[in-house]
Amino acid sequence: MKKKITIDPVTRVEGHGRVTIHLDEYGKVEDSFFHIVEFRGFERFIQGHPYWEAPVLVQRLCGICPVSHHLAAAKAIDQLVGVDPEDLSPAAFKLRKLMHYGQIFQSHALHFFYLASPDLLFGVDAPVEKRNVFAVAIENKELAKKGILMRKFGQEIIQAIAGKKIHGVAAVPGGMHKTMDQKERDYFLNGKDIPNINTMIEWSQEIIEFIKSYHEKNRNLMDTFAAFPSGHLGMVDDLGNMELYHGKLRAIDSEGIITLPDVSTDDYQKYFLEGVERWSYMKFPYLKEVGREKGWNRVGPLARVNICNAIPTPLAEKERQAFIAFTGKKVNNSTLYSHWARLIEILHCAEMMRDLLHDDEIMSSDLVREGKPRLEGIGIIEAPRGTLTHHYQVDEKGMITRCNLIVSTTHNNEAMNHAVRWVANNVISQKGTITDGMLNQVEVAIRAYDPCLSCATQALGQMPLRVELINHKGELIDERIKNG
Amino acid sequence: MNELKTGSRILMIGIGNNGRSDDALGWKFVDEFSNLEDLFDIEHRYQLQIEDALLITEYKKVIFVDASHKEYENGFSFYKCTPARTEAFTTHKLEPETVLWLANDLFNQSPEVYVMAICGVNWELHQGLTDTAQKNFESAVSFFMGWLNKETFRFSTQ
Repeated sequence: MKKKITIDPVTRVEGHGRVTIHLDEYGKVEDSFFHIVEFRGFERFIQGHPYWEAPVLVQRLCGICPVSHHLAAAKAIDQLVGVDPEDLSPAAFKLRKLMHYGQIFQSHALHFFYLASPDLLFGVDAPVEKRNVFAVAIENKELAKKGILMRKFGQEIIQAIAGKKIHGVAAVPGGMHKTMDQKERDYFLNGKDIPNINTMIEWSQEIIEFIKSYHEKNRNLMDTFAAFPSGHLGMVDDLGNMELYHGKLRAIDSEGIITLPDVSTDDYQKYFLEGVERWSYMKFPYLKEVGREKGWNRVGPLARVNICNAIPTPLAEKERQAFIAFTGKKVNNSTLYSHWARLIEILHCAEMMRDLLHDDEIMSSDLVREGKPRLEGIGIIEAPRGTLTHHYQVDEKGMITRCNLIVSTTHNNEAMNHAVRWVANNVISQKGTITDGMLNQVEVAIRAYDPCLSCATQALGQMPLRVELINHKGELIDERIKNG
Repeated sequence: MNELKTGSRILMIGIGNNGRSDDALGWKFVDEFSNLEDLFDIEHRYQLQIEDALLITEYKKVIFVDASHKEYENGFSFYKCTPARTEAFTTHKLEPETVLWLANDLFNQSPEVYVMAICGVNWELHQGLTDTAQKNFESAVSFFMGWLNKETFRFSTQ
């Protein structure tokens, strides 16, 4: 009998999706898909709005990474008022970067401590009652507390700059709305009210030691679980070093061969196409030159660590060196190493925040620049989950006529499907029964990419997870549903 | 509980989204009391998050206000919240009971927590409450004013 197993939605990811695993009459996996079925179309919704509303409107795509959407849109809107990234005032540039690092820091902290750590602490096939933050809180109180305080630190950096932790207003066309004052800066430096930035760096280092220790004990799992060759895409600076706010786009293949050679973000359309599949609303971006089959790329922490020549902060660079030593400096194509790479980025962000907090320019009132208006603007940043593109065209009155968003999770669409396929083939195929632990491993594979499915489909509202078992006739013979 | 720097002020957290019609009930309710700065600290949330467990430990009394899909006799329900683990939760959306559980477990703090759940009927993209939600909102505010008077009296005589 042919069976189809569906996991829908995937818990502990931001937003929800659906996984179907098709089995043949012998219980062997025939095929698998990671479906994204909700769709509301922010790209259309925003048409007809004035361009200056975009940075505020588009951040409503998501309650988890609104700052990323806000900043990507802001970069695009800067161009509409004739201001390129290098034309921003130093204060505006640094304040945006500080906010961006705060966002990545808090987002990565949320993901690791509260989404991924239950899988690592209790095992990828642990019972469901263990796979949540309560188990972490009960058995690892200090870890849970640090997770909360690290997230709070990043959130408060955002609040200090934007006025609100979520959906604040920080960037304006050509610059920033407000500066930081001495009191706000001291709050993060003196450690009187909250653990200070130096403590954040120490805790970031501690948590990297945790994952190293985990790696020592579980190296085979990390090396093999959902490992598959892929391209890797991200942003680098002029020296080829990791850059998260503004730089050039670089992609490599699974062997490290350059497939996108440090091109300007303004030229992204020359190099990328987006494929579609009838079973998912999420698109499949790929490099034109390489083609649909092999031109897709992973994005996010693992990709960024893979593509860069170095990380421009010393402690994170030291950790990158340790990371790449395990693969003999070859490209790392193993999904679970994403967690380790994410923690290296947490440390990098903490170091960058420390440097920016000590820079007096973040208190300057020189915040806005002006230029000659244009009809098109492109903003690309490295969001927590990977490369994020906002592209707007406007008419002469400044009304948006076209919007194209390529969000990080969309780039990872093909990779997540490969990860699901790996688990289906290696864990579920021909086992006879489908256990809760097996199903969780499908989720573990997806969670490593920290997908934000509401962003990827620009959905509004709830997107619940369901597991279906369907025979070769297409009949539903079993179903599991998890609340979101 | 240690002396808190927030003193006797009550933390009120409105949960919701003012771009989705009746889902604005939580925010509208807390905004109604935002001018009582000596009495309340006000926060707005799209959804409760793990760091809210730390935030509520800074207060003796906390009130979560949210729109509700459920139907209540008077158009709202006001009840004392007890800590509870909820297995099915995702970390981007916690229940008040879960936030209280985490505050208890991680920080050994047990603030007195109440939930004001106000019935709504429409959750689609729209600015403004439905007539039904507006009526329920007014009933909830009226009830809460009475409760507040009693609480203020209780504080003043303690």
